[in-house]
Order: sequence, then C-alpha cells, then structure tokens
Amino acid sequence: MGLVTEKLPPMIEAFPGGPAVLTSIDAVINWARSNSLWPLTFGTSCCAIEVMMATGASNHDLARFGAEVARPSPRQADLLVIAGTIVKRMAPRLKTLYEQMAEPKYVIATGACAISGGPFIYESYSTIRGAHEIIPVDVYVPGCPPRPEAFFYGLLTLQKMIREGETIRKPGERRKPVLAALPPGITLEQIRAEMIQTLEQKAVVNLNG
Amino acid sequence: MVSSEMASSVLPNSLSHTRAGIHISSLDERILKGQTDSKERADRETTQEYFVNMGPQHPSTHGVLRLVLRMDGETVRDVIPVLGYVHRGMEKKAEYVGYRQQVHFTDRLDYLSAVMGNWAMSSAIEKAMKTELNDRIETIRTIVAELTRIQSHQLWWGVLGMDLGAFTPFLYGFRDREKITAIFEETMGGRLTMNYIQPGGLMFDIHPDFVANVKKFISYFKPLIEEYEELFGGNVIVQERLKNVGILDAKSAISLGVTGPILRASGVAHDLRKLEPYGVYAKTKFNVPVGTVGDCWDRYQVRMQEMRESISIIEQLIDNVPEGKHMVMKFGAKIRVPEGVYYSQMETARGIFGIFIASDGSEKPYRMHFRTPNFNNLWAITQMAAGGRVGDLVAILSSIDIVVPDIDR
Repeated sequence: MGLVTEKLPPMIEAFPGGPAVLTSIDAVINWARSNSLWPLTFGTSCCAIEVMMATGASNHDLARFGAEVARPSPRQADLLVIAGTIVKRMAPRLKTLYEQMAEPKYVIATGACAISGGPFIYESYSTIRGAHEIIPVDVYVPGCPPRPEAFFYGLLTLQKMIREGETIRKPGERRKPVLAALPPGITLEQIRAEMIQTLEQKAVVNLNG
Repeated sequence: MVSSEMASSVLPNSLSHTRAGIHISSLDERILKGQTDSKERADRETTQEYFVNMGPQHPSTHGVLRLVLRMDGETVRDVIPVLGYVHRGMEKKAEYVGYRQQVHFTDRLDYLSAVMGNWAMSSAIEKAMKTELNDRIETIRTIVAELTRIQSHQLWWGVLGMDLGAFTPFLYGFRDREKITAIFEETMGGRLTMNYIQPGGLMFDIHPDFVANVKKFISYFKPLIEEYEELFGGNVIVQERLKNVGILDAKSAISLGVTGPILRASGVAHDLRKLEPYGVYAKTKFNVPVGTVGDCWDRYQVRMQEMRESISIIEQLIDNVPEGKHMVMKFGAKIRVPEGVYYSQMETARGIFGIFIASDGSEKPYRMHFRTPNFNNLWAITQMAAGGRVGDLVAILSSIDIVVPDIDR
C-alpha cells in the first residue's frame, strides 16, 4: 500500500489522463477498505452487549456488512467501536489503543456516554464527557444503548464516508462527516459555547454539601 | 528477543558455534563442558516468577477488568484484580438525583439483570414509604425477573462457550436471548436497559400478547435446554476444561462473601428467594440447585438447573396473573423517603444485590450504597485460579460471570 498511496500518485498524475486513473484507483481502494472493516473487541459497559455482541450474533449478523472479524489486538483492527462510558482512568488506555491501531483507522462512538457523557454528564467526578475529548470520532450512534439496527446504520454511514471521503493524492486526510442540518440562525459554535457554559455551572461536585 | 543461550541450544554442534565473528559462550555450552559451578546450576533449575498484565482491553475479561498475574511458567501463582476502569461515581451521583431518577441508574449497574436492579431499588423505597402493592404487580415483577434470569444465563452460557473456544453456543445463546428481548421490548419498549419496575408498581401494564408470548417461548425453550446440555455439557473437551478446575470450597466462599450460583455450586443452599421470599416466590414451588465440588463444572450445572427452575416458576405463575392496577403510587410524583436507614436486597442472576439508603427526609438520598454481587464474586478468583494453569484462568473467569460496571459502580 505504501507504494500505491505514496510514491505512485505524483508519478501518474504527470501523465495525460493520469488524474482519471488515480480517481479509479481511489474508488477501488476505498471500496475495498469500506467493505472489510475489522473492529477491535473493546467495550466498557452496557453498549458492548448490544453493539458488540448482539450485532455479531445470530439474529442480527454483522457479517452481512463484512465487519464481523473482531480482532482482540489493536494492531490488526481498523475500526474502534467505543461502546460504553469512558472514565478518567480508562481515557489514557483508550488513547493508547487508538494510537496502536494502524492507519487507516476509523472510530464509531456508540451510546449516550461515548457521545457526551450521557447520564453521567452532570455531577460525576470521574466520567469523560464524550469520546471526542480523547480521540477523533468519525460517526456517532445515539441511544442508551443503541439498537443493533442503529449501529448498522452507523456502520453503513461510515462505509459511505470511506467510499466518498479519502483520496490517495492526500493520504491520511479525511473529509469530516456532514453535520446534521441545524435550525436556521443557529451555528455549531453557539451550541458548543452554550454547552460549555451549562457544563461549567452544573458539573461542579460540591463535596461539602 | 531470543537469547544466545536459547539459540545455541537449538542449533546443532553448538559447542563451538560462532556467528558473524562473535563467539557465543552460553550457559548450555559451559554446562556441557563442565565449566559451571553449583550456584549457576541451581539458578538454571529454579524458575523465575514474572508478572503478566491481562486487560483492561482483553476479549475474555468481559469488559475493562484488569488482572495482574504472578506467573511461574504457565502456572498462575497469584491473581491481583485491578479495578476502576469504568468507575462512574454512581453512589456519589445518587446524592444529586432524586429517587425516581436513580432507578434508571440501577439498570446500568448490572445491565444483564437490569430488571432485578430496578426491583431492589423500588422495593427499598416501598419499604421506606410503607407502600402496599397488589398481587398483579408482584406477579408480573416475579415473571419478568425470572425471564431476565434465563436471559442472563443464556448470555453467560454463550460466552462461556466462546471463552472455551467454541463459537456455536454463542450463536445459540443469543438466538434464544433475542426471543426474550422481543417479549420485553413489546411490553417495556427497551431491549437491555428497560427501567420497567418503578417505585409503586410498573412503568406500563403488560402487553395483551405478553402471556401468550411467554407461553410460546417456554414451550420452545424447554426442550432446547436438554439439547444444549447434550451438545455442550456432553462434550468431552468441555468436561475436561471445566471439571476440577477452579475449586472453591464452601468455607472460603462464605468468608469471601460470594453469593449467587457460585456460592450454591460450592454446596451452600443460600437463595434469598427461599430464605427471605419477596415478590410471590413464597407461593411458588422450586428447588435450589446445589453443587458438590465447587468447580467450574458445578457452576455450569447449577446455572443450567436454575434455568429449568425459572421455567417452572414462570409456568406456575403465567396462567393466572391477577387483575388489578399496574401502579399504586401517583405516577411521576416526586418521592420523599422518610428520615431513616433502609436496606433491601434481591437475588439477581449473579447473587445478592443490595441497596442501602440513608435518607434525611428530602427528595434526594443523603447517602446511597450498592452491595453488588460481582464485586465479592470477583474476589473468589484469587482462590480459584491460584495454582492453576493460565489457560484455565479464562474458564474460571467466565464461570464467575462478571459484569464489570457492576464491580466498579
């Protein structure tokens, strides 16, 4: 892959018709990558049952989407599914796991806890408020815990992203997922600022009563 | 990295072996030449203990449990569990949210027997507020709890198979589990964290098809247990991997505070459903399965037998569910527990789940403590695994059936 993704593109691009060839190579590589996602067996709490186990089992069958080869070692996996609450003690380990995975790597955050801290967002001294505070997340799947079908939708979204997103001309650079349509007149920055303000007000644990 | 000693012992004619101009003078060579002293020979014969880190990310620790193993070759000398990788501050958080909100956090403690956590919490509040429940509520609670027990044991059975290297039980276990999940979903609207049993009753009345579906499930599942017993328990490899592995005697089980199927497998017939009957267990007839040796095989047998007993309890109750209201408290009203100290405990699929509430009469508890079964059960591994092989450790850990968020709280 190193030859194809790093050395070949500048050589081909110089020839007439080269860019068209590169686009075709992109399509083939992305197609292959999107259909052979190998998840890492990693789950911290309740979401692991629904998202990692029930999906892989008989009724829902993750193998239909080519993502059933769960690898226990991060070095062999390319999809990190964060299933469950991430607490402060686990955060450095999660970052290590992510760093040990080989490029290209993708992250799906499932469940309320991995998205924002969920029910533990306020008045908890130990939880991380969303996995994005530690590692970049590609797709969020809401739910507490999400249904296996919801996880499949997230997986299909990720596959779509992979197929459309990357180009070997700029390896490692990934297009961000399209943000959901916001109400008119409201920007993402406004929501974020408001969220931070509320968090700062309510997240203080008063140990003295 | 392969040491020079190991390399030279494998190679032929290693007595005067040189590679790339470097003469390898290994211990093996000197032993063969008779150049060693007695101290060196003694070092060679005794083994060196070392530490292996298992987890927090490991496929057979069922979550983010970390075990530090003191090893001697392949023999496990000591197991040191390291906790806190999913400590969410549940008990501290309870002091900031109301009683009604706290019920849904009990779902997320032991999520495989979520309904029983709800029940323990609700019954502690009901005890404090002296709420009288009607028979319909108690009967439905009991049926739902027993279905949860089957569901939980089915998942445990599947995962035990997977940990021993067989993938088929996992698929079978989840196939049956999904049937119960579908029944729950119809009535409760949730698949895993249902938040169904509420203080003063039930969140919703049962679905019109509930009784018929439960009967259908029982007639489907009853012959399957015998099939699984033959398929999995009759397998020689499974028997070899489970029999006489991870023995826990009754005395140390009691002193460790172990409860549930593990305690019963060690030969102690301790079941809260019999000793302090709650719900409508007093009206039903069922046996408490007890093991004799206290090994992994007994724990497997006890859980399989418990599933049969659960089916018999449901069969006794499902035909005549009494009529009545499904909620006796004012729904959604804030709960003010009178001042005092309250404790309520339940027999979940894993053991005794207790809830302690210290109330100062306000809308929020002054202090809340959860006595979770997995925390005590996990500590049994220090006794079970010591002296065994590292391959057996996975089977032992699987036979304990831990849920890590329940340990860390």
